[in-house]
Amino acid sequence: MSGPTFVELGHYQVRKRGQGADGDAFLSRKASDGRIISALSDGLGSGVKAGVLATLTASMAVKFVSEDIPIRRAAGIIMKTLPVCSERRISYATFTIVDIDSQDTVKVVEYDNPSYILIRERTQVEPIKGEIRVTRAGRGRASAARGAVGREAIMRYSEFQARPGDRLVFFSDGVTQAGMGTRAHPLGWGAPAVQAYALGLVEEKPDISARELARRMVQEAEAVDAYAPKDDISCAVVYFRRPRRLLVMTGPSIDPSRDAEMAAIFDRYEGRKLLCGGTTAAIVARELGRTVTIVLERVARDVPPASTMEGADLVTEGIITLGKAAELLERGESAVRAERGPAARAAELFLDSDHIEFVVGTKINEAHQDPSMPVELEIRRNIVKRVAATLRETYLKEVELRFI
Amino acid sequence: MDGEKLKVIICSGTACFVMGGSELLLLEDELPEAWRGRVSVEAAPCLGSCKDRSCGRAPFVKVGVEDLAGATMPALLALIGRKLGETLGG
Ligand code: FES
Repeated sequence: MSGPTFVELGHYQVRKRGQGADGDAFLSRKASDGRIISALSDGLGSGVKAGVLATLTASMAVKFVSEDIPIRRAAGIIMKTLPVCSERRISYATFTIVDIDSQDTVKVVEYDNPSYILIRERTQVEPIKGEIRVTRAGRGRASAARGAVGREAIMRYSEFQARPGDRLVFFSDGVTQAGMGTRAHPLGWGAPAVQAYALGLVEEKPDISARELARRMVQEAEAVDAYAPKDDISCAVVYFRRPRRLLVMTGPSIDPSRDAEMAAIFDRYEGRKLLCGGTTAAIVARELGRTVTIVLERVARDVPPASTMEGADLVTEGIITLGKAAELLERGESAVRAERGPAARAAELFLDSDHIEFVVGTKINEAHQDPSMPVELEIRRNIVKRVAATLRETYLKEVELRFI
Repeated sequence: MDGEKLKVIICSGTACFVMGGSELLLLEDELPEAWRGRVSVEAAPCLGSCKDRSCGRAPFVKVGVEDLAGATMPALLALIGRKLGETLGG
């Protein structure tokens, strides 16, 4: 199902100065078979019209490829569908389409966008690229400079097996041509300098996220353009990350003879560990001969205080904390980052992980069913399902649930 | 000396917390000046009492060796006062 790595996608863009709309478009989608398809398109010119064409191109690409049309054929169909500008006789939109399957095999088709950069082990590697030629029905005679000869358009196709730690960086020509005409960069920033800059960022911060890398590339291009972009500038990054794993253990099992098993799962897990629930923590602590200590500083009014235990990254109370964490996650990342307290810390652990495994004890806590309780406590299983759904759908995390 | 301090353990488990324990966790702020330094306030995950009807109602607090059920801030302060009196007297 899931590949050897966690695929993180990041994208950032700024529009041409003075334009009210983006002229580049980036879209991505996860297909039902687990493939991740993304496309970056640059519409001719800038503004609304360019944006519409770019969006149209990117959405066709993502739709076709995710519906199982092989990427090369999909690119051909788009090529034939795209109108050709009658004045400038060039295509209305350029594109880069990336198709990543569940085993991290990557297929890329590029049409007229700058060449992508593949960074592996802090150096740039260059997969061999083949050509795909498409004869178009249009009357336009595309200019050779744009990569098309006569009525033929040439796209470049490459395929490679991504390795953990690889980064694929692709962008519109707003990046390579930034600063064009200035004294510092008469011909623009240029591909070699752009590549060197990307490598430098990875060198400087080896675990830089896809989002940050994309943002910093664009911001640098903007700086080269003297902060008055003469074109839309956009960059996308795919980071094949070694997954950051998190174990969340919450609730005792109905069967006390499984306490030792729970403790063993906790003990052997490689990754970060969160214990949600006093009884759960007590069981693990007892089985492993550890102690749970509650930290009574900065008590939050709405959530019981957190504790510490050797081997656990965080120990919290169960139902209330998880409920509040769910609420924070539903409100969005900024809500999580803005809060403190145990629920926010738990939510932060979720956000900073790629693969999250819940081990949920199904024993119902009789004390919580007391009708005299001033608030109705949700059943653990339901809260966990709620958190899991948000993590999957909103944050695209890989989530596993195990009930014991 | 820690050994002479009166140990107060407030349950911060789910049931106690929603039944009023959340307020009790602020005990430290409510302690009269004279008592500070003579009382150590701690919190604990579920003490188990909420699962046993014979123990009474949540929230639960342990004050020294004594268990207080259905604890409220005034009741808790009163019990601490009594205990401190005893300790002083003895
Ligand atoms: S929650 Fe306080 S005794 Fe169980």
